[in-house]
Amino acid sequence: MAFLRRLGRLVLVVFVVTFFTFYILDRIPGDPAERLAGVSATPEGIEELREELGLSGSLPERYGSWVGDIVRGDLGDSLIYDGISAWDRIRGALPKTLETLVLAELMAFGLAVPLAIRSAQRPGGLVDRWSSATAFGLLALPSFVLGIYLMFLFAVILGWFPVLSKDLPGFTDDPVGNLKGYFLPSLTLALNLLAVYVRLLRTDLIETLQQDYVMLAQARGLSTRRVMWRHVLRPSSLNTVTAAGLNVGGLIGGAFIVEVLFAYQGMGRVFIESIIGKDYFVVASMVTIIAVGYVMINFLVDILYSVLDPRIRRLSA
Amino acid sequence: MRKRLGILFWIAVLWIVLVVFLAIFRDSLPIADPVARLARSGECERFERPSWSRWFGCDNAGRDIFARSVEGARPALVLGVVVTGIAGTIGTLVGVISGYIRGLFDTVMTTIVDISLAFPALVLLIAVSVAFEPSLRVFVIVFSILGIPGYARIVRGATFALAEREFVDASESMGATRARIVRRELLPNVALPVLSFAFIGFALVIIAEGGLAFLNLSLDGITWGKEISEGRHFIVDHPHVSLIPSTVMFLTILAFNLVGDGLRSLVAPREVATARRLHIEGTPEPRSEGDDAVLRIVDLSTKLHTPGGLVEPVDQVSLSLAPGEALGIVGESGSGKTMILRSIVGAFPLADVTRAGTVEVDGVDMLRSADTVSRRTLGTNIGMVSQNPLTALNPVRRVGDQVIEPMIVHGDLSRADARERALELLQQVGIPAAERCLREYPHQLSGGMRQRVTIAIALANEPKLLLADEPTSALDVTVQDQILRLLDGLRRERGMGMVLVTHDLAVVKGFTDNVAIVYAGQVVEYGPTAEIFANPQHRYTVALMNSMPDLNLPSHSELTTIEGAPPSLIDPPSGCRFAERCPAVQDKCRTDDPVRAGTDVHSYSCWFPMSEHPVEVS
Amino acid sequence: MAGTGDAHLREDAHLVARDLVVEFSGPNKTVVHAVSGVSFDLIAGETLGVVGESGCGKTTSGRAVMQLERPTSGEVTLRGQRLTDLQGTDLRRARRAMQMIFQDPISSLNPSRRVKDIVREGIEIWGDPDGASTSDRIDEIMEAVGLGGDDVGERRPHEFSGGQCQRICIARALVLDPEVLILDEPVSALDVSVQAQILNLLDKLKEQFQLTIMFISHDLAVVKNVSDRVMVMYLGKVCEVAGTDALYAKPTHPYSRALLASIPGHELDLPPASELISGELPSPIDPPSGCRFRTRCPHATAKCATEEPVLRAVAEDHYVACHHPGSV
Repeated sequence: MAFLRRLGRLVLVVFVVTFFTFYILDRIPGDPAERLAGVSATPEGIEELREELGLSGSLPERYGSWVGDIVRGDLGDSLIYDGISAWDRIRGALPKTLETLVLAELMAFGLAVPLAIRSAQRPGGLVDRWSSATAFGLLALPSFVLGIYLMFLFAVILGWFPVLSKDLPGFTDDPVGNLKGYFLPSLTLALNLLAVYVRLLRTDLIETLQQDYVMLAQARGLSTRRVMWRHVLRPSSLNTVTAAGLNVGGLIGGAFIVEVLFAYQGMGRVFIESIIGKDYFVVASMVTIIAVGYVMINFLVDILYSVLDPRIRRLSA
Repeated sequence: MRKRLGILFWIAVLWIVLVVFLAIFRDSLPIADPVARLARSGECERFERPSWSRWFGCDNAGRDIFARSVEGARPALVLGVVVTGIAGTIGTLVGVISGYIRGLFDTVMTTIVDISLAFPALVLLIAVSVAFEPSLRVFVIVFSILGIPGYARIVRGATFALAEREFVDASESMGATRARIVRRELLPNVALPVLSFAFIGFALVIIAEGGLAFLNLSLDGITWGKEISEGRHFIVDHPHVSLIPSTVMFLTILAFNLVGDGLRSLVAPREVATARRLHIEGTPEPRSEGDDAVLRIVDLSTKLHTPGGLVEPVDQVSLSLAPGEALGIVGESGSGKTMILRSIVGAFPLADVTRAGTVEVDGVDMLRSADTVSRRTLGTNIGMVSQNPLTALNPVRRVGDQVIEPMIVHGDLSRADARERALELLQQVGIPAAERCLREYPHQLSGGMRQRVTIAIALANEPKLLLADEPTSALDVTVQDQILRLLDGLRRERGMGMVLVTHDLAVVKGFTDNVAIVYAGQVVEYGPTAEIFANPQHRYTVALMNSMPDLNLPSHSELTTIEGAPPSLIDPPSGCRFAERCPAVQDKCRTDDPVRAGTDVHSYSCWFPMSEHPVEVS
Repeated sequence: MAGTGDAHLREDAHLVARDLVVEFSGPNKTVVHAVSGVSFDLIAGETLGVVGESGCGKTTSGRAVMQLERPTSGEVTLRGQRLTDLQGTDLRRARRAMQMIFQDPISSLNPSRRVKDIVREGIEIWGDPDGASTSDRIDEIMEAVGLGGDDVGERRPHEFSGGQCQRICIARALVLDPEVLILDEPVSALDVSVQAQILNLLDKLKEQFQLTIMFISHDLAVVKNVSDRVMVMYLGKVCEVAGTDALYAKPTHPYSRALLASIPGHELDLPPASELISGELPSPIDPPSGCRFRTRCPHATAKCATEEPVLRAVAEDHYVACHHPGSV
C-alpha cells in the first residue's frame, strides 16, 4: 500500500518535472529546426523537418508524443548533433557523474562515522573541537570555492593530482589514473557532505549516549567499544540517513558545478549545453533520469530507515 | 536571559557590517573604478600581486580586484535582503498555519515541501535562467520560490511542537481566538529560530547566485561568482585572481552562518555535555572481620563537575546490605538517590565525575579495581533495573538479542544455550508468550512487559545484587503491584540483595527490610523499615510521612506540608540541610553540621530528634 | 451499553456530560475508542474525582468537557447550555466559565512571556469581569495562590520551580472567575512535599472562589483526599460512581477493588491484587465486547461477553456497572 503510494508519487514527480521542462524549453528563444535546417532552407523544408523531429504541434501534443516514445523506450534524438540520439549523449556523461557521486558519498561516510564517534566519546575534547570547527567552516564553503581551494592546494602546489579531469581513462583500463582524476571533484563534494553528516551524527550519538538503555548497557559491564557499535550507533543514525537522502538534490547540483570547474563532460555540462541549444529531448530525458534517480534514492533511504528503526516498520506496514 | 554569544559572533557581525558599509558607500570612498583597465594607464599591471598600495592586486585585464570585490557585494546583498524578506515572510506564514491548523493544508504543504527540498534546485535554476533572461527580478522571484519551503519546514516543525504544549490549550480554554494564539503564543516563540535561519538562508542565496555565475548564468555586471569563475582559468600561474574573491565570499558566508548559529544558541543552548571522565579519590576503608555484606558503601561522595559549578549529589553516604536483604532508599527528586546507584555501577551521563570513599560489591572494590575486574563484577554480580521501561530497552534491537547479550559476553554461553536460558528467564518473570517475545522489538510490548524484560536481563547472570531505580514509578498502579511482587519473589527465591530506590514511602514499607531516607545528597535517617515507620526520628522523615495523602484517612483531611524547596546542591548551606524547611529548627541547626546519632541499627543526623523532643521545638 | 447508563446523574447538576463518545483515528484507518458513552455530572461546589489507569479515557473526558477535544457524540451542558452545540465565538464565550489545569506545569506556560502577562491574558481577551481595576484583581489572585510579592510578575516561567509554575497556572485560570475547574493530574509531576502544598491550596481556593472541580488523577490516595464523589474509569467506560468515603470503604466493581488492592500499604479488607486482576490492558482500537473489563476479571461469565453492563445503584448514591456485583 505504502509502496504503491510512493510509486504514484514517483510518477507524479516525473510528470510534473518533465512537463515543466518542456514548458521552459518552449520559452527559450530560437528554433532548433531552423538552425538544423541551415541558412538555405525554405520555410516548407523547415516545417517538414519540424514535423520529422516531433517539434510541430502545440506544447501538450509534443509532450504527449514524447511520453509515448519514452514508454516505448525511445528517448528521442539530439537536435544539435545530427544522427545522435539523446541516449547517446547521456550514455557518455552519466557514468562520470555517477562515479563522482558514489566516491563522494563513500568518502563522506568513511570519514564522518569515525570522526563523529570520536567526537561523541569525548565532547569538548581535542578531536571534537577541531572536527566541529572544521565542519562549521566547510558548511560555509560553496562547492566552487572549496573546489578552487583544493585544486590550488593539491594540484597546483603539491601536484598530487591533475588540475583538470579531462579525458580520464576508464576505471577498468587504469584504475589509479581514473581514481586520481576523480579524486578532487569527489573530495570537493564529500567535504560538504562530511560537514553535514558529522554534525548530525555527533549530536545524535551524544543524545543516545545519555539514554537509559546505554547507561544500563554500561552497568552490565559491556566494553565501551561494544556499547558504541552495538547499542549506540544504529539508533543514532536515523537523522544522518535522512539527511543523506535530502542532500541528494544539492549533491547533483554540486556535481554539475565541479564538472565545470574540473572540466569534464558529465551530466552537468551536457545539460547546460543542451539547454542552451534547446535540445529538447536530451534535456527532457536528463531531467527524467535525474527525477527518477532522486525518487529512487529517497525510496532506498526510506527502506534503509525502516531497517534501522523497527518502530517505523510497523507504521508503514 | 542574557547569554554569551562569544567573540566569534561579534567578529562575524563586524565583518557583515563592513561588507554592507563598503557596498553602500563605495562611490564616496577612495576605491578604484572596478571596470577601468588600469593596465592601459599603467597604474597597475595585469595579474599584479597584492601589495600595500593595491590590497587585492589586479586581474587578467589589469582591473582592481578590491574594487571588483566591493562591487560584487552589491548584487549579493540586494538579492540576499529581498529574497530573505520575501521567502522568510511567506514561509513563516505557511509554516505557522500548517503546523497549527494542520489538516489538509498541512498534508499538501508537507508533500510539496518534501519534494521541492530534495529535488536538485540548481537544475531548476539553470533551466529558468536560460529560459528567462537573467535579471535581478527573475532571480528574486526564483530564489524566493525556492527559499519558501526551507522556512516553511522549520517554522512548521517549531509550531507543531509548540502547539502540542499545554499553554496553547490553556489559551484556547480561556477563549482566545486562533489569530490571537498565533500572534501571542506561537509567533514570539518561532521568531528567533526564523531569524537564525534567515541568516543561514541569506548565505544560501549568495551561494546559489555564485553557483549560477559559475555556470555563466548570472546577472550582468560584476558578481563574486563571476569573478571566481573567470579567475579560475589562471589558477596555475596567478592564483590570487580567483583565490581572493573566493575568500571574500567564503568569509561573508561564514559570517552569516556564525550569526545564525549564535542566534540559534539563544533558543536551544548548545548542549554542554562534557567528556565522560571518571576520577577516584581517597583510600578504601578495609572491611572488618566477618562482614559478608554483598554491598558495602562507606563514606561515598560523588561530585559532578558541571559548567554551573561543582555539584555533590552524594555526600558521605554509608550503607550496607547483607545477602538476601532488601534496602530502600527514599528521597524526593534531586535528592541524589539515583546518583547513589549510579555511583555503584559507575555509569553516568556525559559528565566529569569524581567519586571518593568505598564501594564494594561481593568483596570487589568497584572504584579502584582494574577495568576488566569491575566490568566482570558488573556483568555477573550486579543486575540493574531502571525507572522508565520505555527507555530502558534499546528500541532498535530485538528483545532476544538484548536478553542474551550479557550471557554471551560474561557467562561464556553459546548462542543456542543463551537463547534457551533467555526463554526460561522470560517465563520466570511472567511473560506469557516468551518464545514470541524474544523475536519482538521493545515497542511491541506494553510498559509492564518491558519492565519484566528489563528484569529478565538484570537476572541473566544470576547476580547477587539487584539495583532497582524507581522500577515502578512510570507504571500503572495494578502493574506496579505485579512488578513489586515479582521483584520481591525473585529476591527471596534467589537470595539476592536488593536496593530499591523510590520516592514512594508506601512502596518501601511493604517491600524492604531496611530503609535510608535521603535529603539533599545525605542520608538523614537509616535503619530497619518497621522501626523507622513506627518511630521516625529525623524531622524530614516525619514531614515526608505526613505530607503523603493517606488512603486510610477520610477525604478532605488536611495534609501537613513541607514549605519551601530543597537547597541547591551546587553550594549547599552549612549546618543541617533541612533547617530552612524544618518546623522545629533552632539556631544551632543552621550553623553546625548534625552528628550521626542513635544506634548502630537505627541512626539519624538530627540535633533535635523526635524521641528527645517529641513536641515541636519552637 | 457498557459501563454506560445515566442512573447516577442528578437533577440539580451544574455541569452534565451525557453519553460522551470520543474517537480518534488511529494508524491504518483504525479507530481508537478513547471514551465510549461516559456520563457524569457535578453539582455546584462539588469535587468529582476521576480515577483510572493510563488509557482509561479520564484525560480525554476532561478535554471533551472543555471542548478542547470535540466529542464524536454525546452532549455537555453547563447550567443548561449545551456546549456541544456551540461554535466559534459562542463557544469561546461559554468556555470562559470553565478552566483547565494540566499535568505539566512548565509546559503549560509560554516560556517567552512574563508571568504578569500570562496571568493577565484572560482579562486581555475578555475585559475585567468585575470592573474592578485589573492590577488589583491580579494582585489579589497572586496573593491567593501564594505568589504575592512585587517582582513575581516581571519574571519569566523558567525562573520558577514546578510547584510555583502550577500556582501560576492556577492564578491564570482564576482570573476569569470560572465556575468549573478541570484539573488534569495537577500534582503528578510534583514531589510529595510540594504536592501537599498544592492540594491544600486547591482546597482553600475552592472555598474562596466557590469552585466546582473535576479532579482527574491516577493516584487513588490523592483523589480520596480531595474528592466528594469519585468515578472509576476503565478503557473508556465508567465502572463505578459513589461518594468518596463510600467508594473507598466498600469498592464494589471488580476493577475498583483491583485498583485499591494494588496500592502498597493499604489497610483495606481486600484479597491480594493478583487474585483480582490478570492479564494486560486490551487495545482501545479493538476493545472487548460486552463488559470491557471481562478479559481481566476473575468473575467474568458468558453474559459479560455478550451484554454490556449498565450503571445501577447498589446502595444509596453508589452506582456500579457490573453484572455480578454480588459475587465479589
